[in-house]
Amino acid sequence: MQGFTERNPISVAVYFLAAAGVAMFSMDPVLLAVSLCGAVGLFLLLDGLGSLRSHLWMLGLFLLSAVINPLTYHNGRTVLLVVNHNPITLEACLYGLAAAGMIVATLYWFRSFSRIMTGDRLLYLLGGLSPGLALVISMALRYVPLYGRQWRRVEETQRTLGLYREENAVDTLRGKARVFSAMTTWALENGVITADSMAARGYGTGRRTHFTLFRFRADDILLLVLSLVLAGVSLWGAAGRTVQYYPVFCLSPLTGRALAGYLAYGALVLLPLILQTKEAIAWHFWSWKK
Amino acid sequence: MAFLELEKVSFTYPGAAAPAIRELSFSVEEGELIVLTGATGSGKSTLLRLLKRELAPRGERRGVIRLGGADMESLPPREAAFSVGYVLQRPEEQIVTDKVWHELCFGLENMGLPREEIARRVAETASYFGIESWYELPVCQLSGGQKQLLNLAAVMAMQPRLLLLDEPTAQLDPIAAADLIATIHRLNRDMGLTVLVIEHRLEELLPLCHRALVLREGQLLGCDSPARAAALMASDPRLAESLPSAARMHHLLGLTGECPLSVSQGRQLVQRWMETVPLHAAGAETGAAVSPTGGKGALPPALELKQVYFRYERTAQDVLRGVSLRAAQGEILCLLGGNGSGKSTLLGAAAGLRRVQHGQVRIFGQKLSQYKGQSLYRECVALLPQDVETLFLCDTVREELARTGADLSCLPFDLTLLPDRHPYDLSGGEKQLLALAMVLAQKPRLLLMDEPTKGLDACAKKQYAQALKALRVQGTAIVIVTHDAVFAADCADRCLLLFRGQVAAEDAPGVFFGTNLFYTTPISRMTRGLLPGCVTVEEAAARLGKASSAARKEGGV
Amino acid sequence: MILIKSSRLRAVLRWLIPLAAIPLLVAAGVALFPQKQHLLVSLGVAVLALVLFLCGFERRQTGSRRMVLAAVIIALCIAGRFIPLVKPVTALTILAGMYLGGETGFLVGALSAVLSNFYFGQGPWTPFQMLAWGMIGLSAGWLCRPLKKSRLLLAFYGLLTGVAYSLMMDVWTVLWYDSGLRWELYRSAVVAALPHTALYGVSNLLFLWLLAKPVGRKLDRVKLKYGV
Repeated sequence: MQGFTERNPISVAVYFLAAAGVAMFSMDPVLLAVSLCGAVGLFLLLDGLGSLRSHLWMLGLFLLSAVINPLTYHNGRTVLLVVNHNPITLEACLYGLAAAGMIVATLYWFRSFSRIMTGDRLLYLLGGLSPGLALVISMALRYVPLYGRQWRRVEETQRTLGLYREENAVDTLRGKARVFSAMTTWALENGVITADSMAARGYGTGRRTHFTLFRFRADDILLLVLSLVLAGVSLWGAAGRTVQYYPVFCLSPLTGRALAGYLAYGALVLLPLILQTKEAIAWHFWSWKK
Repeated sequence: MAFLELEKVSFTYPGAAAPAIRELSFSVEEGELIVLTGATGSGKSTLLRLLKRELAPRGERRGVIRLGGADMESLPPREAAFSVGYVLQRPEEQIVTDKVWHELCFGLENMGLPREEIARRVAETASYFGIESWYELPVCQLSGGQKQLLNLAAVMAMQPRLLLLDEPTAQLDPIAAADLIATIHRLNRDMGLTVLVIEHRLEELLPLCHRALVLREGQLLGCDSPARAAALMASDPRLAESLPSAARMHHLLGLTGECPLSVSQGRQLVQRWMETVPLHAAGAETGAAVSPTGGKGALPPALELKQVYFRYERTAQDVLRGVSLRAAQGEILCLLGGNGSGKSTLLGAAAGLRRVQHGQVRIFGQKLSQYKGQSLYRECVALLPQDVETLFLCDTVREELARTGADLSCLPFDLTLLPDRHPYDLSGGEKQLLALAMVLAQKPRLLLMDEPTKGLDACAKKQYAQALKALRVQGTAIVIVTHDAVFAADCADRCLLLFRGQVAAEDAPGVFFGTNLFYTTPISRMTRGLLPGCVTVEEAAARLGKASSAARKEGGV
Repeated sequence: MILIKSSRLRAVLRWLIPLAAIPLLVAAGVALFPQKQHLLVSLGVAVLALVLFLCGFERRQTGSRRMVLAAVIIALCIAGRFIPLVKPVTALTILAGMYLGGETGFLVGALSAVLSNFYFGQGPWTPFQMLAWGMIGLSAGWLCRPLKKSRLLLAFYGLLTGVAYSLMMDVWTVLWYDSGLRWELYRSAVVAALPHTALYGVSNLLFLWLLAKPVGRKLDRVKLKYGV
């Protein structure tokens, strides 16, 4: 998926905001279905079937969210059955299904987003807001794996001292607190050395440049503009069709405007795949010409 | 006009009775490479920090420091920060950001340079220092040597006029240290960069520098050419320990005249000396290198490894590939080997931290699994970790010692001066001694140590070796993982070379270092083929001295 | 803001975007999707508050040592989220607010949330989490004097903020799911999250009870020794 993931982080972030945003704020069943399929599809393209357990978890979440609405909300005219004197209505079921689809689709969009947004990319996005903030994030990102390693080291060393028992949960908890305390000292003391090193290299002496490895190229601008335009068209289209769940489920008839919206959203969802294909074709021609 | 000039500079820490630096005056010409040396507490770090305004310690300062003719205090903040580069001792902690490329441009971003200029300088620096192949890696994947090289490169990208380094090689293995010193020398030679470096690894650096600045108790003992500075240092017993082997031998033989510094000069000295005395007199000592205790097999074993295999993950490569070794009670065994040869892993396996996949680990004849609960770590095995800071939990040395139940009176060294200080405020040597006291509180019969001499100066090393020898007398078995050939030659009974998870060589230190060509002591290189099996300075001086007195006797008859 | 060369224009945009663009976006959203107005308004307000604060961070004088300490605590928060049962984020945020000032507390809370979510799952709840934890840190900074004095009060404050955090996140879950805040749904969400909420509050309480003193001492020592 390099044709998509290697694009400028700003474009990628805007794409995800557009794709997830339309899904999040709409209750149109057609849009939601397209969004759900697209989100799951993109994640599978990025990640493969690797984490089957998390997919099952998502399925569980979908079912739970779909069920919770009809169980707690009893409006709606079409009663399907009665449980404990409470009617379960078709309308509430449909709403639950739509909400569940919206939630799971959004989650999948965000999962793909997190997968693409590595530390550098995140830094690039936030560094635009504030270079100082970007620096804090960069330092924190560096410390996280370092602390994980140090945690294991401290744990082992303290164990070999043979001073503490490890027989029950209270001992274990105390042991963890001890390791955490030692870690804190170590982290704070060494942090001061980092601060010295920053001062030695002139941090805080004046305005800072924000240097990045990312550039804006034609493809990045294309992705940015397409994301915004397609999202705009789909919003405009979706606003042209009213969806009503209560008291009776009712979808106003399909107009040209709504259809245009659906098509635009479909294109938006497929955009990563389109960019990828474009890249593959370009590569194919290049190697063919050679 | 000198490039850097100090005029009667004194400095007193707040609350201290005596000044740390007293009336120092000296000047440095542009393009000089100067080594700053002195015992621990002589004020060399304080002096170096005074030369870097941003890192100057708080306290009372007198005198004038001039850089390029201008008073350092009057420089605008940006100029002061960027014209002096500073590299600290510990490679890990001075890195600020998470990626190599970002670290390289951190200083340049602070300078507020335009983006194109940053891109150019970063590209140039990365190429010069050979960083290109790991340019986009996260910092946590680098080795210690790479990290320190990155620190140096990041400072050099800012194009400072003066480079200050505070023991840059103290935490590195010998190969990475030699690389870094070569890089520093290259920067000085190729670019005419002025360099001031604090270093206790004088073996490599002293022959390369233009002048050496010797400090004692905050005062300037001398600032002279390396050979003359070496002669000056030889007169002080604490400073003499840190001299290069050739200079120490020269001094121990009681010679005067031009002091040799490098291995080749030292070898010439040995050759000349041997020409003046009949060969057979020196040759009579051949084979003098006997294994000190001959302890192999004689005493009951403390640690036995038989065909041990270990890997960290199922799909990873084996780290230990059939290691077998044996350490007897009352024996000091040194494990040497390059990075990634499995030394530390082996120690972890012996300490019961890594369960081996194949083979056997026996401690005092029993399998590891037979030790239940904490019994392995009580009066049996103790591990001194590489990073001794992982031991410290409390706010004072006293609490730390009380927690482990250490008894100060039966330690082979003195810690009584430290009780109320914070463990993190101690010097490297003091930290090591405190850590040793803490693990000795377990009353171990088998002591495992991972790089105990890292960051210690020669004097502290000597003290440490003596402490270990005292423990050996009590019957403790000691297994030391180290990179330090000089230390191993000084205190080991046997040495092992580990290579790719296997034992490649095993011998008494005399034979071991006498046979090794690369993994050996400088003295062994100087005396190779001349005095066989001679690996320490004291030994060489004694044998040469004996030969000459024998020759004199013969001549007399 | 990376493409704009003029620094003045950049500064104007930096203020214009949060002050004008986000309310506009919210208004447009409300007009287009009347069913989701609560969600839109709340999300807009959260993002606006965060952006305002984080942009302001650049203007205030923050010494390099304070910044490093903030980064250290954020990393400890993230590393600590890997420990089963005990999640030290709230507790550490409170300590950061108490010992390093409310602003640093806000920064620690907000950034811990967004960064750790890269390991634990990013979602539309991230801005709310950031805001909630940030506010906990900020208020700890305001209340630092009484909190430093009494260990009991501190532990109680930890329990309270833990529970309040959980209840607030439930509000957001319901808003996201439904078009308004419906009591039945909220009640079931709270009940469903009850074990989690209880565990959260108790772990905060325990953590602060056990570690507030030692960690506070360490922070004080670093502040004293190195002059933060």
